[in-house]
This record gives sequence, structure tokens and C-alpha cells, in this order.
Amino acid sequence: MAKTIIEEINRNIYDIKNKDEYDFKIQKGLTPEIINEISKQKNDPEWMREFRLKALEVYNKLELPTWGPELSELNMNEIATYVRPKTKLNNSWEDVPEDIKNTFDKLGIPEAEKKSLAGVGAQYDSEVVYHSMKEDLIKQGVIYTDMETAVIEYPDLVKTHFMKCVPVHDHKFVALHGAVWSGGSFVYVPKGVKVDIPLQSYFRLNSPESGQFEHTLIIVDEGASLHFIEGCSAPKYNKINLHAGCVELYVKDNAYLRYSTIENWSKNMLNLNTKKAIVGENAQIDWVTGSFGSKISMLYPMSVLNGKGAKTEFTGISFAGKGQNLDNGFKVIHNAPNTSSVVNAKSISKNGGKCTYRSLVRINENAKNSKSSVSCESLMLDDISISDTIPVNDIRTDDVEFSHEAKIGKISDKTIFYLMSRGLSEEDAKAMIVRGFAYPTSKELPVEYAVEMNNLIDLELEGAIG
Amino acid sequence: MEEIKLNETPVRTSRNFNINNIKLDKSIIPQHIGKFENVKILGQTSKINVEKTQNNCDLTYGLGEILTNQIKEKANQNLLITIDSKINKELQIEFTLDSKNPNLLDNINIIANENSRGTVIIKYTSKENLQGFHNGIIKVLAKEYSEINILIINLTNQKCNNFVSIENTIENGANIKYTFVDFGGKNSITNYYSNLIGEKSVNKVNTIYLGKQNQVFDLNYIGELRGEKSDIDIQVQGALKDNSKKHFKGTIDFKKGCKKSTGNEIEECMLLSETAKSLALPMLLCSEEDIEGNHSSSAGKIGEKELFYIMSRGFELKEAMKLMVRAKFNKVLATIKNEEIRNEIIAEMNNRLD
Repeated sequence: MAKTIIEEINRNIYDIKNKDEYDFKIQKGLTPEIINEISKQKNDPEWMREFRLKALEVYNKLELPTWGPELSELNMNEIATYVRPKTKLNNSWEDVPEDIKNTFDKLGIPEAEKKSLAGVGAQYDSEVVYHSMKEDLIKQGVIYTDMETAVIEYPDLVKTHFMKCVPVHDHKFVALHGAVWSGGSFVYVPKGVKVDIPLQSYFRLNSPESGQFEHTLIIVDEGASLHFIEGCSAPKYNKINLHAGCVELYVKDNAYLRYSTIENWSKNMLNLNTKKAIVGENAQIDWVTGSFGSKISMLYPMSVLNGKGAKTEFTGISFAGKGQNLDNGFKVIHNAPNTSSVVNAKSISKNGGKCTYRSLVRINENAKNSKSSVSCESLMLDDISISDTIPVNDIRTDDVEFSHEAKIGKISDKTIFYLMSRGLSEEDAKAMIVRGFAYPTSKELPVEYAVEMNNLIDLELEGAIG
Repeated sequence: MEEIKLNETPVRTSRNFNINNIKLDKSIIPQHIGKFENVKILGQTSKINVEKTQNNCDLTYGLGEILTNQIKEKANQNLLITIDSKINKELQIEFTLDSKNPNLLDNINIIANENSRGTVIIKYTSKENLQGFHNGIIKVLAKEYSEINILIINLTNQKCNNFVSIENTIENGANIKYTFVDFGGKNSITNYYSNLIGEKSVNKVNTIYLGKQNQVFDLNYIGELRGEKSDIDIQVQGALKDNSKKHFKGTIDFKKGCKKSTGNEIEECMLLSETAKSLALPMLLCSEEDIEGNHSSSAGKIGEKELFYIMSRGFELKEAMKLMVRAKFNKVLATIKNEEIRNEIIAEMNNRLD
């Protein structure tokens, strides 16, 4: 049977470059002087400046990972870690400078805000340029603001939670994040408040040879619920850009949080992001992830099920094309009785791309009567791509039900034959199968984002059968 | 305490997951080895020949440089087994570690010539309470269209340390079937590597392990498929009592060019106590499109419903558990044709489950 050539994702919208204009750009490199200067530029309180400097010390002591994708092309002396755009934080799109607003318009953010979101944050390079939330949520005590504002206005909440879920010693890029973080969102949902419509933060990196290090801190208090959506993109440059964000999620007893991500960084981006949730009694965190961009990605969201009856689900898809090495996965620690986890991970490799599913399921001694079910499927669309599955299953007690299954292969000739016998062309049959493969992830997203994801999987099969 | 790292996985993952290798106290490796003479070889014929000769013991993977070099320099049992034609009689080699022969370094090469067929049984036992040491290399070459069954039985006591490195090369149409019965050793560490270079080469592996007290099993199985339409099937069943631990690292690696190949891996661990631990890393690596690879892994205690059913028939809990473990292992035990050996394994299994 002839080979199907799946076109690269059409990135026209995402690749729009604005002129590299900024209010302030820190010199490249990573020294205590640079960290002090970032801290000064950001008007940090003293505790935060000290925190940054300690994180830098940790960064200098930790090694690069001895596993996963090769990171030797990352040279911190070539990266500017702080770029302040030529605008302040605004509450109205009208106040956002024209070129920046145009970018977000093209990405559909203001439109989505009108139609389907309860609040929006938009970050451009190192600072949040727009933040807004519906009035009724403010009245209910929901806080949704940029991290810098949170540090000043809610110091107690921030101090007790900031980098406590993800300590700076976790790994080298978390330490880096601790030293240079800037921007990101802070959300607090008070006890019992149900936020029915999602909040979204969108992160855009425009400046070349720079990094984005946003910090997202979400606290969903007891009995509350929230759906938070995160999107990210950048135009492609010839030199390496770096994203080392950090997401800390606290889901208190009986609370619910769904954290959805559509990641579409440019193909010169190293995406070394860290996400972790601490989940309380009878609480639940669901992760929905579509990972399409980046040159290299190392991203393993983690749920720590600390409360009795805590639950987590992970539904994710990675799509690696030419020149991409997406090393993604999921980690879960069962750390209390009656906890449960369900993982459904998929990947598609094509045109020389490499997808790796890397994971950890750990069921601790105290997690009696816990259950975990993991399923991962990998689809190879040609014979020049690579797909690896590297799961670790660490079961430390007997009173558990644990199962893991994985499969890897190409699109079944029989299925194509069946669909063609029903009148579909070969390309339509293959497109249908690939979309069906991605469906478990897209169906978990609000419809507008499912459409965005389907656009990202834009197969453009017409005329591509060779 | 000086540690050594052994049994590295072919691909590393996060160091925090504690599975890339196993760290052991270096002092468990004896410096003085001495002679080993307590070996019995049964069933030798003109068609299945055993020579005591020094063999090449270079390995692609292996347990690690220290253990491989120890065999290169100090092997005290060198056997070259050649199978020349189709033969039904089994060759049986029995090594028994005792006070006069506490350290065994065996280097065994098995060559199955074209179109040959044979069975080799290698059994390791030890005298009670002996703090024995076994470090072995088994290299197998299955030439075109040969068929070879290998049964490796480790029934050493729980004070011995057991290390085995295996390397198979499988040519066109050849088939190697392994059965491992791994019950013994304070530490039982196995590195198993199959290189399926031939078209339609086949490798089937069935393992049963049984741990008690503080036993540690570290099993690192690697299958690389290179030939078209090659097939590997790894099935590992185990049961862990008391504080015993098992690390299973299974890698099926579809190399470019192995079109229409299949690889399957099933790993199941029965946890018979709340302090037993199961760590597993079932890897699928794939650089070829037209293949089919599957793995599954599960762990948990014996189902309460099943135990209740058996106990309602008059069995005590311990007996009911034994029956359940035996039922799981029976699929493998049933393939052992040698009745005497099968009965010895069952008796040992019952003994260790008590």
C-alpha cells in the first residue's frame, strides 16, 4: 500500500513574529548579579530576592538529567531570562499595545474570552499584559491574577504555597525556574465555590534567544471546583528558546480541578516544564494535555494523592514531527488509602519525529485498597520515526489493583481496507483513523479547544498520498 | 560500604525511579574463587557434545564489567556444548555449591548447528546455610533453522548470591525457548539479552520466580529484533512473600528493518504480603513502523473471592495461597517434560511457600 505523507502542522498563525521590541531585556547568562537585577526590575520583596539567589545556588549544584533527550545545545549564556514587554498589566484589551493585541487576536484569545471563558490571563514574553475575570466570580471571592500581584497582595497565601509543592531541589530546571521566574497566574477558589466556566492563561514568547519562566499557582479550596486552561505558543527562530515554567496545584479535600493544556511552542523551543498537584481527601485532579510543539519537550505532570480517596486521571496526546523529540508522560504517587489513578496516553510519530512516553506509578505502603490503570498507545506513521514507551511501576504493598498495558504499531491495513470498502478514499480513511486515535483527548476539551487541537492535528491529507 | 552498580537498563530513565541499575555491596563478590568440582553432566551423546574448553565471554550488555571480567579471568567451569542434529534426549548439567565448592564461575557456550534440535537443562543448587556465590555467563548461538530449549533452574539457598548473564544470537528461522525457574539466592540478578538477527527468528521466554524473606530479584531482559518477521514473547510470573523484592526490567526493541515483527511481554506479580515490593519497567522501543508490540504488567494480591472459594472447600489460607501460586506457575511447570525435575521444583515451591 502506498505511503501516506502526513503534512506538518500549519503553523502560520503561531509563527507570526512581532518586532523584538521591549521595555527591558536582561543580559544573557545566569549569575547572582543578573538574578539581583531581575529581582530589582520586578520590585520583588526581599524574601523573594533571597529565594531567587538560593535557587541559583541549587541550580549550580545540580546536574543535567542523565536520561531523556540530549540537552547539550542549551547554553544559558545565550539565553536572556527576563524580557519586559512595552506595556503594563492591563484590564482591557483596548489598552494593550496594538502589535501585542493583534497577536492574541490572531490566536483567538479575546474571542474565546467573550464566548466561553470566565477569565483570561495573557502573558507576552516575561510579563502578563492582560488579566481579567467575570464580575460574579470576583463577588464569590475567586482570585485570578498575575503572580507578581499575588506576591504583593496575598503574601501569606503565596509564601505558604510558592514552590512548596515543587521544591527547587526537585531537578535542575526547577531550580532555574526558582531563580528567574516571571509572570504566570495565581488562582484561589474559596471553599465550596464552583467555577463552572473555565479560566484560561495564554503564554506567548516573542523575543528571540530568550526564555519564559512563568509560575502558575492554583489553590482550589475544600469542596470547590475549577477548570483551568493553559495555552502556549511562540514564533520560530533559528536559535534556541527555553521554556521552564512551573505549575503548582493544590486541590484541597473534596475539591475538583481540571487542568487542560494545549502546547504548541515553536520548533526551536526547549520545553522543560514542571507540573505537580497535591490532592486532598476525596479530591480529584484531571489532566488533559495536547503536546504538539517544541524541538525538545520533557514534561511529566505529577499527581500526589495525599488524601484518602483522592483520584486522578490523565488523558494526553503527543504529536512529534520532523526534528521533534517529545519526551512526555505522567507521574502519580498513591500516598493514602483508597486512592485511584487512570492514565490514557497516546502518541503519534511521523516524518522522523520521536515520541517517548515516560511515566511513574508508585503505590506506597500506606495506600491500601488503591487502584491504578494505565494504558498507552503509540502510532507510527512512517518508518523513519521513533516511538518509545518507558513506564516504571513501583508497587510497595499488596492490597492494590494495578495494571499497565501498552501497544505500538502502525495504522492497521485491515481497518483501512474496511473503511475503503465502505466508500472512503485511502487518505480519508487514514485521516479518520488518526483523528479517532486523538479523539479520547479532544473529547475531554471544551469544544473551542477541541477545534484548536484538531486544527493542530491538521492532517491536510488531500493530495498527499504518495 | 563500597557499592557496585549492576544490570544497567539499555535506556535510562529518571534516577529517582531507582530502576536504571541495582546497587549492591561490593564485598559480596569474593576475591578468592578456587576450584569448582561439584558438577554433574548427564545425557551427553555424540550428537550433543560437551567440551571443557575456555570460551569467549564478551557480552553486548551483561551485568557489568566487574562480573564479566571476573569470569574472563577466573572462570572455574568452562563448557562448550554443541548440538549437531535433532535429538530428543536432554542434556542436564547440575552445579551444586557446597563447603568445598562455594564459588562457581561458569562460562557456558551453546552452539546449535543448522537444523539441529535439543534441550539443555542447567540447574544450580546449594547446600543448606552455605554462603555461596555464583556468577555465570551463558552464550547461545542458534544457527539457521535450529530449535533449542533451555531450562535454567536456580534453587540455591537464601544466603547465596546468584548472578547470570545470558546472550543469544538467533539466525534465520531459528527458535530459542527459555524457561527460568528462579527461586534461590539472597540476591538473584539476571541479565538476559537476545539478538534476533535472522528472518523469522523466534525467542520465547517463560519465567517463574518466587521470593521470600529478604530475597531480591533483579531481572533485566532485553530483546532486540532485527530480522524481518522475527518474534519475541516474554512472560514473567512471580510471587513475593515477606519482605522480598522484585525488579523487572523488560525491553523489547524493534530495530529499523525488522518489518512485520512482533513482540509481546507480560509481567504479573502476586504480592503475598503487605511488605513485599514489585518494581517493573516494561519498555517498548520502536524504530520501525510495520511491527506490532504489546506489553502488559500487573501487580496485586491474590483475589479474595478466589481464596474464599478454595477455603470454602476445606483448605486453610496457607494451602489456598499455595494452590493459587501453583495454578499461576502451572502453565510454565507443565512445559517441563522431565518429571523428576518438575517434581523437585514443585516440592521446592511448596517448601518455600510454607
